Amino acid sequence: MEDKADAVMAADVSKHFDSVTAVHKLSLRIQQGALFGLLGPNGAGKTTTLRMIMRVLAPDHGDLRIFGQALTESVQNLIGYLPEERGLYPRMKVLDVLVFLASLKGVPEAEARERGRAWLDRLEIGGWAARKVNDLSKGMQQKVQFIAAVLHRPRLLILDEPFAGLDPVNAAVIKEIMLEMHDQGITVILSSHRMEQVEMMCESICLINAGEKVLDGELRAIKQEYGKNTVRLEYSGDGAFLEMPEVIEKLNRHGAAVEAKLRPGADAQKILKAAVDRGVSIRRFELMEPPLNDIFIEKVSKRHA
Amino acid sequence: MPKLWFVVKREYLTRVATKGFIISTVAIPLFIIGLIVFQVMMAARQPLHTLRISIADETGQLGEITASLLAKQKLPDGRPAFLVSHVYEHPPSPESLRPKLTTMTRRQQLDGYLWIPSGVASGQKPELVVANPGAFPMLDPFTSALREAMIATRLKSQGVRVENLSTLLRASGVRLIHLTGKGESEDRGQAFVIAIAMATVLYGSLLMYGLTTMRSVLEEKTTRMMEILVSSVRPFELLAGKILGVAAVGLTQFLIWAISGGLLAAYGFRMVRGANPAGSGFHIDLPPAVLAYAVIYFIIGYFLFAAMYAAVGSVVSSEQDAQQLQMPITLLLVGSYILFGIVMRDPNSSVSVTLSMIPFFAPILMVIRIALEAPPLWQIGLSLLLLVLATLGVIYASARVYRVGILMYGKKPSLVEIFRWLRYS
Repeated sequence: MEDKADAVMAADVSKHFDSVTAVHKLSLRIQQGALFGLLGPNGAGKTTTLRMIMRVLAPDHGDLRIFGQALTESVQNLIGYLPEERGLYPRMKVLDVLVFLASLKGVPEAEARERGRAWLDRLEIGGWAARKVNDLSKGMQQKVQFIAAVLHRPRLLILDEPFAGLDPVNAAVIKEIMLEMHDQGITVILSSHRMEQVEMMCESICLINAGEKVLDGELRAIKQEYGKNTVRLEYSGDGAFLEMPEVIEKLNRHGAAVEAKLRPGADAQKILKAAVDRGVSIRRFELMEPPLNDIFIEKVSKRHA
Repeated sequence: MPKLWFVVKREYLTRVATKGFIISTVAIPLFIIGLIVFQVMMAARQPLHTLRISIADETGQLGEITASLLAKQKLPDGRPAFLVSHVYEHPPSPESLRPKLTTMTRRQQLDGYLWIPSGVASGQKPELVVANPGAFPMLDPFTSALREAMIATRLKSQGVRVENLSTLLRASGVRLIHLTGKGESEDRGQAFVIAIAMATVLYGSLLMYGLTTMRSVLEEKTTRMMEILVSSVRPFELLAGKILGVAAVGLTQFLIWAISGGLLAAYGFRMVRGANPAGSGFHIDLPPAVLAYAVIYFIIGYFLFAAMYAAVGSVVSSEQDAQQLQMPITLLLVGSYILFGIVMRDPNSSVSVTLSMIPFFAPILMVIRIALEAPPLWQIGLSLLLLVLATLGVIYASARVYRVGILMYGKKPSLVEIFRWLRYS
């Protein structure tokens, strides 16, 4: 195996189902060790792309390589997967399910049993190892499912909406482990439609919509390209001062906070001045890069314009 | 170790180590054996008893002779079969006698009465009136006694005197000799019993294990377990593992039944011998070749049907949709069970031969033909060949449907859509 090969390399990959094009000429490079975000709205083709990477589906066209290799069973064993739709055999014992899934990835049973116990202990559900999956709470089942994705020590970990349905405490635990894996040099693909989550964690991203790549690259570079054209405001008082179309192109109200997208070349200080003139008290005023969500919406609407 | 092995192992272990398996393996045969034992015990407790009858004879000529002939009939233990309590010759008022005899029968003072009408010589039928037809398993003794009585009276009326009519008329019952591959053996309905039993067992187990396979696939889909599985195992390995795993469960169950059934039969046979040394005893002798064919047809037939049921399980997302879509497959099985009457009646007719060649019917119908008589080897060979070819074709198609179906959720796809899946790369 070439050491420097990309963890994932897709060239012009397409997949059709009858008349529906799920993925169209997608090209993608994910470096080894990256924490990569695959983003897009529901139905954009994220899951189809992941399934092709995992050899569940075969691309109709294009070339797809994992760690520089064509997809084979041994490559499949290098991948760990947490699907968006979670579920385990409800009537099997927790540890037995883990051992079964690990043995499908080529881990000897005794070793899988040992590692499974260690993981269950670490996630504080060690006492449930001999219980049936059915007896576990939803949150506990999610933890077991996460263990199933990492038990065989994958080199590429694919997490599809990993935080969906998790309470804040469990989400923090999963996030911590995910970052720990990243530190160990494991390539992590995080697939989500929740842009703000990915924005905080991922170094590079690929945004897809309707089966096509909208943009990709390092997140910082993407954002810099757009420049600091957004003002984030927190204030108390009358919001009427924000009605200044010559400066503000678009307003996003999030309750207590407001994000104002500036017109190209507009002076942000004018907003501050208007607020002071009207006696509105400003608690926060920050000039920043646009959130990923806005970049996405802009890109997609431009395409359709 | 190949991944297929782990799939088979899991399927097998999780099915065998369940209450359902233990119940269906132990309880079902125990229940059936219990029923049989109960019946045998009840039958032993209530031996055949002498039946009390009366005879009303409007002709006034046949009653006494019939009564004396019936009195000669013996039960297996030597007691008389019939006790004729009264013979009414020329009853003065038949209209009042009949209700009287009926009342006596109702009150169980009589087990029944034989009414010989005046026009019996010109074809009017005698009647046997009983409260419990089960106590009169055979009409033969009455028919032959009456026939003898009528012949005797007619001969007498023409001036012929016959001393020993029944010796003169004694005819032998016809014995049915069954030609088998090995030679001749007296058939007491054995071949039929074996054929019916085999058809029933084959039908039941093909249906049961087929549906088990379907549910197992469906369970992996509805629990979303499939999502992880397909990232580790090829769909074909999953499908094959599932089918083989359930097959192993089925064979385990059969093995348990065969061993315990063999032990029970050996024990039961000795019991019967001990209780009734004189009786020949009804024992079923299953030719090993028939059993071997049944096993072969069962295994291939199981693969054929399980592959189809698995495809159904993979296509749908709910038990209700599965119920609908599995109907055509189940109908093929039900069909072969219904058609087996035709095959039984004439196993060698061109209809039977044709039906037993159709792969979906062969696992049951060909086995019936083999059990009833030895069909030519080329017919067995041809039906096996067609069955194997059809099974391979069905497995190929099912695997392609399965591969697509397991990832599809939501609305039940139409048959047209399913056929389109066959072409997906």
